[in-house]
Amino acid sequence: MKQFIFILATCFAMNSYAQTRSLGGFFPEASLSYKISEKYSVTHKVESQHFVYNDQTLDDKFDYNHSLTDLQTFVGRRLSPFIKVDIGYQYRIEEGENTHRPIQQVSILQRSSMFRIGHRIRTDQTFFKNEKFLFRARYRLKSQIPLNGVSLDPGENYLAFSNEIIYMTQDGDDDIENRLAGALGFYIDDKNKFEVGLDYRTDDYLVDNRFRNRLWFKVGYYKSL
Amino acid sequence: MKNITTILLLFCFSIVFAQEKNEVEKRVKKKQVPESAKEWMKDAYEKKSRVKWYFQTDGTKKAYEAKLFWKNNKHSVEFDTSGEIVNIEILIDQNEIKTHAKQKIQQYFDENYSKFSIKKIQIQYTGDGDDLEDLIDEDEHDEDLTINYEIEFYGKNEDADELWEGLFDQDGKLLEKRIVNIKATDNLDY
Repeated sequence: MKQFIFILATCFAMNSYAQTRSLGGFFPEASLSYKISEKYSVTHKVESQHFVYNDQTLDDKFDYNHSLTDLQTFVGRRLSPFIKVDIGYQYRIEEGENTHRPIQQVSILQRSSMFRIGHRIRTDQTFFKNEKFLFRARYRLKSQIPLNGVSLDPGENYLAFSNEIIYMTQDGDDDIENRLAGALGFYIDDKNKFEVGLDYRTDDYLVDNRFRNRLWFKVGYYKSL
Repeated sequence: MKNITTILLLFCFSIVFAQEKNEVEKRVKKKQVPESAKEWMKDAYEKKSRVKWYFQTDGTKKAYEAKLFWKNNKHSVEFDTSGEIVNIEILIDQNEIKTHAKQKIQQYFDENYSKFSIKKIQIQYTGDGDDLEDLIDEDEHDEDLTINYEIEFYGKNEDADELWEGLFDQDGKLLEKRIVNIKATDNLDY
């Protein structure tokens, strides 16, 4: 709650005296996970951002623009039924420069009788040709709430809410990003899940006159073998 | 006879060691529930109106379940498809298990797992419908009622590292256990 008020207050403050940038678009993502042994699993993920609105352009603000596409692969080890650690690598295809990013994460599952919560702690490092590397530390909390009964069964739907706070630093400059998302999930079965929702991202909190809002219409497919 | 005993023993073993919990449960409307089940609930829990009904199946066994709060405890009452009561399960704390059973259960955990933690305990009453009714509305404890403890726990040993559901009798002896399959977490992790 405190954090929410902080974000709201920051948004308000930024909006009132500084220039705000607003963008929006379409954000499909898909992941494929499979086990390679009892403890180890591999996940491949592809995600892509496509802007359809940008208030910074002088002419037509509604214009299609491919922003970026990420290709990720993770190798995970399950430490217990509730804790999993992953190391991953991302190759980002983006106009200007494609980047490399190693990722480390710990995910913790918390169950209650009515819903479940996934905590994800992640660090990543992005490497550029002519700039110093960018370090980020992130924490995401995502809840999954069944809409029919207390447990999620095949053919039922669920709601997913998440918030992620990202701290980043590069060459002495630091910044904060926040990602708030809500989605309707379709639990086809345990190996196939589909989520449709909105992902609202705000960043450049600590940079003068650069505060940025991005609203994504997101669709995600989670497949496991 | 010896052969039969061996087969029976093996069978019991396989029940204790190989079962997995894969239940499907969904919310149902009150009107879909057998009349006799609703009648029983009305008699036992009297004026209780906030009851949520569920239908569950594990592939072979089908049941209706009523969930409600009663005297600050979470109750689940299971009925078969004809509306006959099967059991009452009440969510309890660890310290509500009878002392001698608690010791025996503790001993089971200590002896079988290098690491364990108890996630959920339900006391389960099985027996005649009238006796079960008296238990709720009169607080009367008939000797014919069977008391078991259903315990969901995380247990790790050399062979397994799983979430389990174990059924212990009123003396704390393990009757059966099964693995609780945790649903995929891919959409929470990536």
